[in-house]
Amino acid sequence: MASTKEIKNRIKSIKNTKKITKAMELVAASKMRRAVATTLASRSYAGYSWELLTSLSGKLDEVKNVFFESPKEGKTLIVLITSNGSLCGGYNAQAIKKAMQILKAPLLNKERGGGEVLVDFISIGKKGDHAMRKIGQNIIAAFTDLPVNISIQNVNPISALILNEYKKGTYKEVFVVYTDFVSALTQKPNVRKLLPISRQEMKDMIDGLVPPLLNKEGNEGRFLNSSEPHPDPLLVKERGNAVPYLIEGDANKLIDMLAEKLIRMQIYQMLLESGASEQSARMVAMKNASEAAGEMIDNLTLVFNKARQAGITQEISEISAGMASVS
Amino acid sequence: MSKQLKLKIVTPEKLVLEELVESVTVPTLEGEITILPEHVPIIAGLKSGDIVALANGEHIPYAVVGGFVEVKNTASAEGSGVSTEVAILADFAEHISDITDEAIEKAKARSLELQKLAENKEVVDFEHFATELDRSLTRVKIADKWKTRKYRK
Repeated sequence: MASTKEIKNRIKSIKNTKKITKAMELVAASKMRRAVATTLASRSYAGYSWELLTSLSGKLDEVKNVFFESPKEGKTLIVLITSNGSLCGGYNAQAIKKAMQILKAPLLNKERGGGEVLVDFISIGKKGDHAMRKIGQNIIAAFTDLPVNISIQNVNPISALILNEYKKGTYKEVFVVYTDFVSALTQKPNVRKLLPISRQEMKDMIDGLVPPLLNKEGNEGRFLNSSEPHPDPLLVKERGNAVPYLIEGDANKLIDMLAEKLIRMQIYQMLLESGASEQSARMVAMKNASEAAGEMIDNLTLVFNKARQAGITQEISEISAGMASVS
Repeated sequence: MSKQLKLKIVTPEKLVLEELVESVTVPTLEGEITILPEHVPIIAGLKSGDIVALANGEHIPYAVVGGFVEVKNTASAEGSGVSTEVAILADFAEHISDITDEAIEKAKARSLELQKLAENKEVVDFEHFATELDRSLTRVKIADKWKTRKYRK
């Protein structure tokens, strides 16, 4: 059995570790709350711009737009969103695994007659960047120095790069691998097709902005949360009758502009979701670590007390043995 | 009471304003339009400049960069006539009073700095700088414009 001094030192060091993990847990929790709030705040913009695009493109059904139609030829671009820091449980590993899956998945290969598919990557976050470099993927750009509180300006360069490459016809489709924030305890790695714009995906995204964030608080309905300042009916109901709009300027140009903004918005949204997921994953990981530390301290305290007691018992028996031999 | 329209200004980051106003003037790509209640539904692109809403005879100015304006009419709840809703989707929108002198100085310095930077930058970075430059310049311009005028808040 280890000496009492050794055990005491170990308990002390575990206590220190626990303090650190506890602090990290709290920091992650507050960052997560902020990320969730930002995600909520951006949803009315997303809702409006989607509505605008539907009214515009509904009017101009015959319009052929590069954003809605996939070019036949070209490579595939995958944007992988991961974190810069670690200590967040399986967060990065899951996202990377998801990216690996699409690399092999039929998602890319079917319809192409099994031909070789060329894939390029844009990595956001150091962890994904390292992982993709390791397996020798072609990374055309790495954004690894984004701040924790992402603003829309930070997204500009990313979206500009993607849109330019797509418009040039380098890529026929663009996917984003990110982590969906389902609740504070659950995050799901997810793949979304960014380009060409699919109406269904877009609608899913905008619908998806609301429920999980509210459900977390235990609300069942979508807009039941009364603390929600601006319940926006636009998000749930599609406008049935198309109103004839007057359009100033060239409608095609407007659609282009709007589509670009929507793409940027989507990337922003996915970054926010990933950020919230990262923080909550970290929070949970740190919580587990703190709990494990607590358990270890309990066990070691038990061992320590036993050792101490054994020492005392031994001393007493030595003393009484000594006394017996004297008398 | 005179008729009012519902004005909403939203940016990707937040809902900037939601209020009933009498009219709103917005800088569009092809000029400037003033929207009054029961305006025909219209969609137009915005350029950077100022949005001026009029509520109770007071001007409410906002500096705005890039985006869209959508006007639509919906049958109002009471069943009498229509209510007009104006949604402004901007990349960036800020009330004039939020642009303080200090911020203006900073924006001026930043825009000069950015102009220099923009000259020798790659495309990706350039995009970033170009938007930031536009934003800085607009803030300065609009703040200067409203310095001597009266407005609400």
